[in-house]
Amino acid sequence: MIPDSIHPAVTAIPIGIAFGVILERAGLGDPRVIAGQLLGRDFTVVRVMFGAIVTAMLGLVWAASAGWIDTSSLAMPPTDLPAQALGAVIFGGGFALAALCPGTACVAAASGRRDGLAAVGGMFVGTALTPAAWPVVRGAVSDVPREGATLVSDTGLPLGIIVVLLTIAAVLAMIVGRLMENRELARSSWRPTTPESVALALAASFAITDGRGSLPAPRTDAIAAEIEREADHIDALELAALIKSRAPGLRILDLRDGLDTSTYMIPGAAAVSMSDLDSVEVRPGERLVLYSDGGAHAAQAWVLLRVRGVRDALVLKDGMAAWEDEVLAPLLPSVPDDSAKARFERAKELSLWFGGFPRLVPDDSAPVTTPRARRRRTC
Amino acid sequence: MNQVRSRYVDGTAAGIALGMVLLASFVVAGRGIGASGAFAATAGPVAAVVSRGTIASSGALADRIPVAFEPWNDWIVLELLGVIIGALFSARLSGRWRSATNDRSRGRLSRAVAGGALMGLGARLAYGCTSGLALSGGALLSTGAWLFIPLAFATAITVTLLSRDPRLEAAS
Repeated sequence: MIPDSIHPAVTAIPIGIAFGVILERAGLGDPRVIAGQLLGRDFTVVRVMFGAIVTAMLGLVWAASAGWIDTSSLAMPPTDLPAQALGAVIFGGGFALAALCPGTACVAAASGRRDGLAAVGGMFVGTALTPAAWPVVRGAVSDVPREGATLVSDTGLPLGIIVVLLTIAAVLAMIVGRLMENRELARSSWRPTTPESVALALAASFAITDGRGSLPAPRTDAIAAEIEREADHIDALELAALIKSRAPGLRILDLRDGLDTSTYMIPGAAAVSMSDLDSVEVRPGERLVLYSDGGAHAAQAWVLLRVRGVRDALVLKDGMAAWEDEVLAPLLPSVPDDSAKARFERAKELSLWFGGFPRLVPDDSAPVTTPRARRRRTC
Repeated sequence: MNQVRSRYVDGTAAGIALGMVLLASFVVAGRGIGASGAFAATAGPVAAVVSRGTIASSGALADRIPVAFEPWNDWIVLELLGVIIGALFSARLSGRWRSATNDRSRGRLSRAVAGGALMGLGARLAYGCTSGLALSGGALLSTGAWLFIPLAFATAITVTLLSRDPRLEAAS
């Protein structure tokens, strides 16, 4: 990967140019081609999309199994299924109306087409109006999406099987496309073409050779990069919102020492000692949240789990101390700006739900107070 | 089609080439290609001017709408700039560049604006569009991407079939 010290334009512009040229050459900047796909007459969109996905997917899995690339270090869209389902339906409606998608609208506009420019303008408006539309759609949105959720981690099926199934689905879509495009059913339409056969062979041979059935264990430099990006953190308010919304698959582990039955624990948490960590079974689709007093033990446990290959694990930032300060006894800052006020309102609502005591002024009589000295910025 | 212009290339060949570009993007930039993210990075700060409080009050919204405006250091904005440059050159060289509207049916421009606006909102909800989520996320086996692909296409096909415009079909 190109180091961060190099300006992003060095990779972004050449890759963008190649992307733009290919979309234009394939005809995807032409709304008639896209409308043709939606009417089932022209399967160019299916061929380009599935051709690209299968090529890149097979390239990634083969490069990863050869040790040339570490897929866990790649930026990946998070998963929030209800929000993405609603987003897909709204997006699909817009896609049908415009007969262009965001990328191809830019291609159409760059080809001089006014309808392409109109769709680009619409994208700006729709994106800018998203906060205004939020009250209507927010019911579908969970507060913290699942990072790194894949079909492998969510279904528990081996990577090789997923790769083969997706390749077969893509080839079938292309074959159906040929059958729907050619009214007379030539025998050749039924058979995979050479590129399709190559893709199937590559997928099948990957599934056979990939005996481990999962991606190779993540390299430590990738884990280090994740820590640097703070992608391993969840803050106390986010966790409170997850618990309140009964987020599926959420599993909270309390790693504090010397817990007994009288110790307050975050609702739903289970006590696990560091020495028992290795025996914790993580089921597909589960998301772990780890906490300790300040966070050091939780952070160490996170690294151990991550090395074991557990991807969906988060550390509660600043641990139990943050839970007490931000959820059980949130405090409105003495000189609040708008965003601090909004955050306090959010905290207050969650705090009351969890039986806490939101405070407008620092108050020593609040039942749960945490000495400031205990707050440590551990990670 | 009475003027001389080159035909579009085969979809499978274009798809394989696009897959190679996507793979190259993962290798050199550590991320996939995208489009709607660039709109978020440029329209987001505009939204933030009027509704900063709303964005700050919701972690999920703040996660989707960037409020800092620094397009010249943003990979996805620069990449979409590249898309525009690439498409402009390709359209010019192939003789397809033309200042026109693709079809002259009434309401084409307003449908394009409305469609764009719905895609803008939908892409923010879904954490990406047909490029960033479907293509790049799909290749990485993201669960959200593989929900988005069938659902977005099924909706688009349904809406298209329900709103068939015979005039458009006569033109094509």
